[in-house]
Amino acid sequence: MANHLAAGGGGASIWLQELFRRHYTKVVTWCLRVAGDREEAHDLAQGVFVKAQRHLGAFRGDSRVSTWLYSITRSECLNYLKSRSPLDDALEDDVAEALPDDPESRPEHIFELRSSVQAARALLDRVLTETEKRVFTLHYGDDVPLQAITRLLGLENPSGAKAYLVSARRKLARALQRWRAAERVA
Amino acid sequence: MAIARSRERSLLRKALSPSYACATPLELGGLGDGSLAQPGAARLRNHVSGCARCQTELTLLKEFENATPRPDEEGAVSWISARLERRFAEASAGPSLSRTHHGAALPRRSWFTALNVGGFALAAATLVAAVTIGLREGRAPELAPPSPAASTVLRSDGITTLSPAGDLDAPPNELRWEPRTDAASYSVQVMEVDHAELWSAETRDASIALPPALRARIVPGKPLLWEVVAKDAAGRVVAWSGKQRFRIRT
Repeated sequence: MANHLAAGGGGASIWLQELFRRHYTKVVTWCLRVAGDREEAHDLAQGVFVKAQRHLGAFRGDSRVSTWLYSITRSECLNYLKSRSPLDDALEDDVAEALPDDPESRPEHIFELRSSVQAARALLDRVLTETEKRVFTLHYGDDVPLQAITRLLGLENPSGAKAYLVSARRKLARALQRWRAAERVA
Repeated sequence: MAIARSRERSLLRKALSPSYACATPLELGGLGDGSLAQPGAARLRNHVSGCARCQTELTLLKEFENATPRPDEEGAVSWISARLERRFAEASAGPSLSRTHHGAALPRRSWFTALNVGGFALAAATLVAAVTIGLREGRAPELAPPSPAASTVLRSDGITTLSPAGDLDAPPNELRWEPRTDAASYSVQVMEVDHAELWSAETRDASIALPPALRARIVPGKPLLWEVVAKDAAGRVVAWSGKQRFRIRT
């Protein structure tokens, strides 16, 4: 009978095998949507599994395994995007061209002029649709490229996330103009 | 133009980053499955309902939970699976380290070795195949028929454990389970609740004595987990008990 007392560390065991058996597709599919390239997605998925194995000991069972794995996948994917080249400038140019050339209407002014970030977020919440909010938040908050957002959210319209971003910025520009007009009257 | 864009991005990133009140992915998951304790859950639910940032995170979490390859992704997912399988096989055979594009070193005995390379490859291939018939979390994946090349075949009927379980008056002397006719040996493991291994052993019997050194570490009030895996004569895994929990009453 083989027998040993562990000095510590993670107990990978059959449990870990079951974990990957159940959640493997989620991770690989997600990485593919973020990277948009199977070679990159392969490396990314491998990194997620290595990290999951490394942090297995920290999983205390308070959350669902899939949620825990999601938090690792999300972190790895955002780090990957940060380490990659800057956002696709061509698409950024497309967005800029589709908008009125008015520096005063740029969305960052909302955050400069509103009394607080919270108030600006409330404005976003009021004027944008749910999908526009998701696209706006992911693109500007997390630097997720528009093509990756299209894949992650499963957007099926011809121009994907770009259309939602242009629409969101137009709405915010109009909200900003209304806000400025109200300020002038006051 | 570039400077204006950079300034814009910087301002927006700052404004849209999570606030102190925003939920973490684990908290969002806890809200969704009801496992988050009150009163924190009520406060967080109230915040999430009006926060575009948290709503976005929630959408992503749901997309992840339900992520199955779309028709145009199936080819790439299969390709990635096959390539990972090859890499696992190479890594288990050779001593060299490999390195991913973003610098994560793959140790010689890393997770894929611990997982049993052949078994993981089968699991991966099975899961990819299962996607096409609508695999969802919470339901055990449909397994492909056992292949001669497969080194792991988990069967759904598992192993029935007998003791220990639940709250006990004294540290157990042994672990016991019902024997399986297809098992030639059993691997057992005792763990902390965070799955850190305390002790493991192999036996041909349907019970195994716990060594004094381990029994000394079983203290009142501290929950522990144990599991047993049945293997056939070729060393292939044929059944698993799942995690069993026990503790000594305080």
